[in-house]
Amino acid sequence: MTVMEFSDWLSATSASQFIQVTTWVIPSLQTVHILTLALLFASALMVDLRVLGTGLRSESLRAVADRFIPTIWPCLVVLLITGSLLIVAEPARTLGNPAFYLKMICLAAAIIVTLWLRAFARGSRPVGGLASMLAVVSLLLWATIIVAGRYIAYIESN
Amino acid sequence: MIKTFCEWLQGTAFAQTISETWFPMVESAHVVALTLVAGTIFIVDLRLVGLASRQMRFTQLSDQVLPWTWRAFLLAALTGSMLFAANAMTYYDNVPFRAKMVLLALAGLNMAYFQFVTFRNVAQWDAGKASPAARFAGFASLILWTGVIGFGRWIGFV
Repeated sequence: MTVMEFSDWLSATSASQFIQVTTWVIPSLQTVHILTLALLFASALMVDLRVLGTGLRSESLRAVADRFIPTIWPCLVVLLITGSLLIVAEPARTLGNPAFYLKMICLAAAIIVTLWLRAFARGSRPVGGLASMLAVVSLLLWATIIVAGRYIAYIESN
Repeated sequence: MIKTFCEWLQGTAFAQTISETWFPMVESAHVVALTLVAGTIFIVDLRLVGLASRQMRFTQLSDQVLPWTWRAFLLAALTGSMLFAANAMTYYDNVPFRAKMVLLALAGLNMAYFQFVTFRNVAQWDAGKASPAARFAGFASLILWTGVIGFGRWIGFV
């Protein structure tokens, strides 16, 4: 089955039909998606700033990582659920869209970078250039995820 | 008066350039900025209502987090003004847009009241459970910013 055939099948399901005809569902799902993203991105920012030495300096990196990284995982679950429902609502808009795939690649990379930073925070080695680079990459990846997500609305599906 | 201003604003070369070329990019930057505004505010609000960061003194958290809120807010306000200029007449008549501006103003008032009244006796609750007034401010802020984002997303659907 091709992606387009899958999209056609998905958009014909009753779940998809319900979301398509009920006008408040898509904006509500998107609102929950953005609110959750806000909490995730700000949590990642706290860890990244601490690694870079420009934020939450009164706490150790380990304390900051232990406080904020555990917030990221449940946020990701909510984002996957609301994101999946948005795909169910408009499969062709998303599944044929290059911006969506860029977003997913960056997401996978952001998860790896977050786990890597957590390992740094828990380890005994001093935080050096590599960790600082990872913190910058983390911020760039989350920002790219948000921008690519918005561009799903602007780039033509094929 | 406001309508005349909107008409003039939308007709400027600056507004037309945004509308024709820059809109998706400015909008993406707006989303990146607003997630950081809301996310960092939520981190402080969740401390106030007692759901997170309870081991940290309130001022220790807010002093280090809120400067980033203001930086992100500056970017959100700047990009938001550019988006408004591009379609000023449409937004002027848009009910969710007006609701968003009202909630934004209320969020500002809530913050000002907290800063100038509730915060004065912070020494009494800084280390532990926030005072009832401070908890209320945190709760109100969570609701108001959720509304700002919800109505913001809704603008594009009417």
